[in-house]
Amino acid sequence: MDEKKTLLSVKDLKVSFFTPAGEVKAVNGISYDLGYNEVMGIVGESGSGKSVEAYSIIGLLQSPGKVIGGTIEFEGENVLEFDEERMRQFRGNKVSMIFQNPMTCLNPVYTIGNQLIEALMCHDKGYTKEQARKRAIEMLELVGINNAEKRIDQYPHEFSGGMRQRAMIAMALICEPKLLIADEPTTALDVTIQAQILELMKDLQKKENTSIIFITHNLGVVAEICDRVSVMYAGHIIEQGPVNDIFYEPRHPYTKGLLASTPRLDEETKERLIPIEGTPIDLLNPPKGCNFGPRCKDCMKICLREKPPFVEVGEGHISACWLHFMEKREEEARS
Amino acid sequence: MDAKFAKISPFQVDPDKIPDTFALTSEDFAPAGESEKAAMVEKHKSVSYWRDAWRRFRANTVSMVALGIFVLCLLFAFVGPSLIPYGYGDQYRSSQKLAPMEFSAGEKTVASLAGKCDGFYATALQPGSITALPAGDYYITVKGKTYAFTLDKTVEKSVLILNAGADDPLVLVKESDIKDGVYKNSQVIDFTDTPAAGAAELSLVRRVFPHVFGTDSAGRDLMARTMYGARVSIIIGVVAALIVLIIGSIYGAISGLAGGAVDFVMMRIVELIYSIPEVLIVLLLQVVLKDPLQAWFDAGTSAFARSMSDLGSGIVSIFITFALLYWVTMARIVRGQVLQLKAQEYVTAATALGASNGRIIRRHLLPNCVGQLVITTCLQIPSAIFLESFLSFLGLGVSAPMASLGSLCSDALETVSLYPYRLVFPGVILTIVVLTLNLVGDGLRDALDPRLKK
Amino acid sequence: MAGYIFKRFVVAILTLLLIMTITFFLMNAVPGSPFLTEKSTPEMIARANAKYGLDKPLYVQLFNYVKNYLHGDLGTSLKMQEGTAVSTIIFHQGKFTLSLKLGLYALALAVVIGIPLGCIAAYNRGKWIDGFLRVVTTVGVAVPTFVLATMLLVVFAVKLKVLSTLSGSLQDFKSYIMPVISLSFYYTCYVAKLTRTSMLDAINQDYIRTARAKGVKTRALILKHALRNSLIPVITYLGPVMAGIITGSFVVESTFSIPGLGKYFVQSVLSRDYPVIMATTVVLSALVIFMNLVVDIAYKIVDPRINLITKED
Repeated sequence: MDEKKTLLSVKDLKVSFFTPAGEVKAVNGISYDLGYNEVMGIVGESGSGKSVEAYSIIGLLQSPGKVIGGTIEFEGENVLEFDEERMRQFRGNKVSMIFQNPMTCLNPVYTIGNQLIEALMCHDKGYTKEQARKRAIEMLELVGINNAEKRIDQYPHEFSGGMRQRAMIAMALICEPKLLIADEPTTALDVTIQAQILELMKDLQKKENTSIIFITHNLGVVAEICDRVSVMYAGHIIEQGPVNDIFYEPRHPYTKGLLASTPRLDEETKERLIPIEGTPIDLLNPPKGCNFGPRCKDCMKICLREKPPFVEVGEGHISACWLHFMEKREEEARS
Repeated sequence: MDAKFAKISPFQVDPDKIPDTFALTSEDFAPAGESEKAAMVEKHKSVSYWRDAWRRFRANTVSMVALGIFVLCLLFAFVGPSLIPYGYGDQYRSSQKLAPMEFSAGEKTVASLAGKCDGFYATALQPGSITALPAGDYYITVKGKTYAFTLDKTVEKSVLILNAGADDPLVLVKESDIKDGVYKNSQVIDFTDTPAAGAAELSLVRRVFPHVFGTDSAGRDLMARTMYGARVSIIIGVVAALIVLIIGSIYGAISGLAGGAVDFVMMRIVELIYSIPEVLIVLLLQVVLKDPLQAWFDAGTSAFARSMSDLGSGIVSIFITFALLYWVTMARIVRGQVLQLKAQEYVTAATALGASNGRIIRRHLLPNCVGQLVITTCLQIPSAIFLESFLSFLGLGVSAPMASLGSLCSDALETVSLYPYRLVFPGVILTIVVLTLNLVGDGLRDALDPRLKK
Repeated sequence: MAGYIFKRFVVAILTLLLIMTITFFLMNAVPGSPFLTEKSTPEMIARANAKYGLDKPLYVQLFNYVKNYLHGDLGTSLKMQEGTAVSTIIFHQGKFTLSLKLGLYALALAVVIGIPLGCIAAYNRGKWIDGFLRVVTTVGVAVPTFVLATMLLVVFAVKLKVLSTLSGSLQDFKSYIMPVISLSFYYTCYVAKLTRTSMLDAINQDYIRTARAKGVKTRALILKHALRNSLIPVITYLGPVMAGIITGSFVVESTFSIPGLGKYFVQSVLSRDYPVIMATTVVLSALVIFMNLVVDIAYKIVDPRINLITKED
């Protein structure tokens, strides 16, 4: 893990959706730093705000969604202050993104090559048409597409799901971005294809020296690829730390629950999977206290009244839960 | 361990809000009860589908305004005729070809009496071609008092004036003797309190109602006709849409539920019907059905045949065409919904529990596609109105003296260069009805199907 | 592609045969013989029936009727132009050409004006121009063709006297203006609305998000990525547009006194000239079906996903 310099620094980011029914606070004040060459996982269930957070970085947030507070600094510059043209130049060039469903993410009426070359050409890098085509073929070969010379002129529907996701990755990396945001890139794929794509991303990350923000609800995938993990619940990061800490010493009840409900292939356990009871809260009217309170089996009175602050529970490992305070009190009482 | 708490992370939510750890009491760390947790969730319970849809629809200003205007159109068509003294078929011989709000000479003369007496009866204002009051027994009831009298001879172009306070309450005046509300040569009429057997009642008016939209060449009041025409058009639209709804949803539901070969054949039939240019077949049916329908009306003794006969062969064949050709879109939509819903687990569960197909349709499928059905039906109404007006315009829809908005436009066409307003009024009302229905339909779509929301 | 076209072609032929059968049976359902007039004696009717083959069983009649149509024999007019071959009336008196020209101009206008308007509205979504176009197109699809046609006639021909009330045989450009506008207005508005909706729909698709994430310029996003995809529903709508324009021509030709097939058809319907009605229905249906076929093919050209289907065939 190389954390000498910070590539991306998100501070107290708040994103709301202004719907007719009221303001939905999809992301409610999250902060983290991401270093060069670092792979960070953002984990959470659907609607926890993880994709919204990623979209704000790359400026893809669409009405009625709006960033209402905080900063996103990329190499020292606040991305949120970019004008439209600057943002366009930034997107795909410095930061690029791949998405969940490779079946719908490629334009069905243009060839793969056309779409790859377009990604390169819209950033005025001085490529001629032939050079761009050559580069596109190179990229397709790099992501492991055989017979790239021929396949470049095919349409997306002639590619399988895994192939399309490879093409998406090729397209995302064609401008050599410093940061790649992967929004559930393997969720829609078969398990075997998933593993291949993850392997490819790991390889490419090393080869191209790209930082990755890896958004997923699949903890197994996180363990595979990430250096550090942030766990999100209902618009907040509730726990963040090195991947091994999160997996072997989770401190927040939600993270614990999440792990207990995930099948572990690496351990020979015969434990039952334990689901987390209840459904996520309504973000239209977030509760006063801890967002996870109503679903938490260790919920205390204070949890329903106040939001818990972060506590550093290990080296680079933080967690926001009142339980840490109770543990401390008990410890003090004992001593 | 103290060090741990000294290093509260810089990522904390809001430093000011963090309560002092030591100010927290043990009570704070007591486990929260299930009910407390539930209460917290309860407060944020989401609203029901229909409440939410209604809220979205209400928030849509355009659709709400359109709904308001459509309700006004409904009032115009269904309540309006009872508010004006003219009927859609009544002809006023002296009031032909009047411009909007214009009075004929006779009406003007009579109108000048307004406010100067308690009521009058003018032969010139009577509907139909007879403008005279034949000899005979009559009676008038005003404010509980009855005036019964006998006319010895037929009176023409005359006005019967009632002035309850005067010495001679009931007088008959020649129209030509009235000027600016003053009349001379009045002929006193003797009356009694009890009407003779078989006497006809006359109802007096206090003022002459204007022809707001003018009159046509036959002396018929155009507003009355437009109101009536709007009523006919709206009824045709609604009935046709209901026919489409019933046939289409039954066909679509059966096709979707049956699946397999049945579905395949049923959908090929739909495809064939879909590719037929309907309007050509509609015209054909109009021609072919006219005589058999008429024969059926004439022979028919059942209440159903009689009520159909009131509608006329043109309208009935419009209904028949809708029943034959126009349900295919609805069937496709319902089938799509059914297929989508069939894949849902609760339907699988119902099937596994041994529920019959009929029960599955009634209990599970229809309630779930009701949103789509409402939208499609609502948008079907204006297209049916369009088709009816198109046929009537070509002279194939409703037949005189019945009127629809289309036939009114058609009637106006011959003299459109002289009397453009005869086209403008029904044309504009037709446009407004279709426009508001379209807008309401769009609003419903946005409200009922949030997925379609842009 | 060839397999696909063949399949559509077979469906088209089947539809046409279905329409011919429907027409045939409907006309047969009319009570009495089409040759029945006050003067006709039973012998005359029998002779006429024998002459036209009406004494044979129905299926033989249907077979003969289809056969005759395939040979270009569309029957003989009984009332409108007594004794004249219907094929002559339709094709050799300029009626068909006149209506076809009018219809094609209207179709072209609907496409050439409607699609750009829809794009402009979608591109400027929420701005005044979008609002303005929405009002115009929403009102436009609520005005019946005959109301628009007659109002144009009153305003421009009667009141302002800039155009002639009788468009006649459409000799010059000016005589085309009002008929083409009234015929295409509804469809121009509809196409504009449809383009706007499908454009906005396309803009919300995942591949547009991908293109945005690549840093594609907004203009290219709309004109390259969104437009081609949003044209697909517009093209499928062109079949119904053709059918609608033919129907509209009945009204427009009657209103502007254009001696085309539409006006003639309405007259034959009103005077119950059965052979003419039958033949015109079949000819116009064939036109609509042919248009649908063309649209189906065009649709598959815009949407390359058809290639997959052809390979599977």
